[in-house]
Amino acid sequence: MTAPEIKPPVELVVASGKGGVGKSTLTAVLALTLAEKGYHMVAVDADAEAPNLHLVLGVTQWEKVDDVYEGRLAYILEDKCTRCNLCAEECAYGAVEIKDGKYVINPYICEGCLTCSLVCPPKAIRYKFRVKSGEIRVAKTGYGFTLVSSETMPGRPNSGKIVTEAKNKGKELLGPSGVLLVDAAAGIGCQVISSLTGAQLSILVAEPTLASLSDLKRIHKLTKHFGIAPMLVINKYDINQDVLPLIEEYAEKENIPIIGKIPYDPEVPKALATNKPITIYSPDSPAAKAAKKIAEYVADEVLPQWRTWWAKYRPKKPEPYVPVVLRPGQITSTRER
Amino acid sequence: MPPRFVVAVTGGKGGTGKSFVATNIAVLMSRHVELTLADLDVEAPNDHLLLGLQGLENEEPIAIFFPIIDYKKCTACGACAKVCDTGAIVMAKGTPPMVMPRLCSGCKACLYACPYKAIDPEGRRVVGYSYSTLVKRGGGFRLITGILREGEEHTPPAIVVAKQRALKETPSDAMLIVDTGAGTGNGISAAIQEAELVIAVTEPTPLGLHDLRAILEIARGMEKRIWMVINKAGIASHEKHLETAKEYGVEKVFLVPYDPEAAKIYARGTPVVEECPSCEASKALNEIAQSLLVEALEKGVRRK
Repeated sequence: MTAPEIKPPVELVVASGKGGVGKSTLTAVLALTLAEKGYHMVAVDADAEAPNLHLVLGVTQWEKVDDVYEGRLAYILEDKCTRCNLCAEECAYGAVEIKDGKYVINPYICEGCLTCSLVCPPKAIRYKFRVKSGEIRVAKTGYGFTLVSSETMPGRPNSGKIVTEAKNKGKELLGPSGVLLVDAAAGIGCQVISSLTGAQLSILVAEPTLASLSDLKRIHKLTKHFGIAPMLVINKYDINQDVLPLIEEYAEKENIPIIGKIPYDPEVPKALATNKPITIYSPDSPAAKAAKKIAEYVADEVLPQWRTWWAKYRPKKPEPYVPVVLRPGQITSTRER
Repeated sequence: MPPRFVVAVTGGKGGTGKSFVATNIAVLMSRHVELTLADLDVEAPNDHLLLGLQGLENEEPIAIFFPIIDYKKCTACGACAKVCDTGAIVMAKGTPPMVMPRLCSGCKACLYACPYKAIDPEGRRVVGYSYSTLVKRGGGFRLITGILREGEEHTPPAIVVAKQRALKETPSDAMLIVDTGAGTGNGISAAIQEAELVIAVTEPTPLGLHDLRAILEIARGMEKRIWMVINKAGIASHEKHLETAKEYGVEKVFLVPYDPEAAKIYARGTPVVEECPSCEASKALNEIAQSLLVEALEKGVRRK
């Protein structure tokens, strides 16, 4: 138990842009390794729309489940509706549908933004308040650390807010020191932005496909916005020898250290099927060995001196977010890249 | 008039093969019928890469409403900040409201709440771009692509605008195949909204199954017909997936076997059904396309 005390806590986010490249598999190995080495650590599953980390870690029971009620859901009073169509025209989400001549609001799309009720001349729109938008769950894993997981109800909006709450819960459980290990969602939208906000370090996971390279560039741009120091792991690195150099070139050009490569290994899906991390299911498999090596590198080389690492690899100047606002009359803009 | 037949490919979990299935069936079906493919995975759009396109054409900004406040008319009454659900309008005590662009979802609640008409209804913010590109694969078809700007977080309004372009550019006697992103939030529901048939692509792991259930919950709730594709079949057991299919009234289940050759072809951005028609994966994709073709022709989608 030689792990250093990290005070104040550091946030390390595993992200990729593209889905299915191995974020949760790698996060699980990282978490196990950090715990083994005596790090004080809480893992957070920040993929609220498709949370899977608990499955990789074999969690079957939650110690605590907190419902998040913050949603609002609009509905139309049929007898008051004059079918003027204004709500349908103004809804930015296209949530108003006409079914058998009646105006109805699709509850899987509505964000509860109030616009329809504000434009409705006969005031025919009402709201259900305190709609359950998701859950924050806490479990002690069988590997000696705590997992905070988040899950949105199917079709509900604002998964980013739930992710922020899950992270806050994780920080609360962590206390004044330690490592917050966050497994982010696919994509670059609100959930991912919530995952990256406040983080110092990020492990980006890519596979040698053109799709993954494209998504890597997008997630990397976000880490630049947030002043985060990125590291790269190339998973299934041996599935395509033509695309692999393109990813390596990108990393070199952008000063992203490649901290490891994991081979394609049929043992990985088998491990997933048994709800065990690959290093537990098949410790001698090539993927397990490679993932373990990466996790040990993070535990032994990166985290003990994360400030030096951060200073070395974070963008010298964070790339600011610049909104493209069109004033009335301005028709179009040129693409900025 | 909406297109005659709209099909949405979705799945919940990322990396199960949504874009793989959508692009390959588009290539196959375009040999027989008029169709458009819409890539509505605006956070990570990849269909053009899987189709090996060199570039995207006919760019249009995805511009959503953005409140530009006329401070000559504004009385700092606070009505706009009060209705703003995303916290995008901030007001320090006694000062006029300020809008934080990244947080704004473009919903217009502030516009209609302002008693002094101090917000310009024509203000817009570009949250991404959409493209319309002719793909010369298969029998040729149109690809609509929506791309969110990096740094923007309100995905659903961008999906809605890209989808509207796809609907507008698809002739009423053609079919539209929608490819969605990963996830199970309201952006996905918005993407599949017009679809009559939802094809849920999953993989034979407990992870795939977990997210599949959330997607089936949405599809059933929205009264869609459902087909299921178990991609990478064979890498682990999919028995529970079949049970789940029954539970949710899935009409058809297709198995696409895991095929290392297909994975290699996918990686370099060519459709496996063209590059390797005899591959096991191609045969399975052909079966899906054939079943869809029967439906499309029954609905009177224009033949080529």
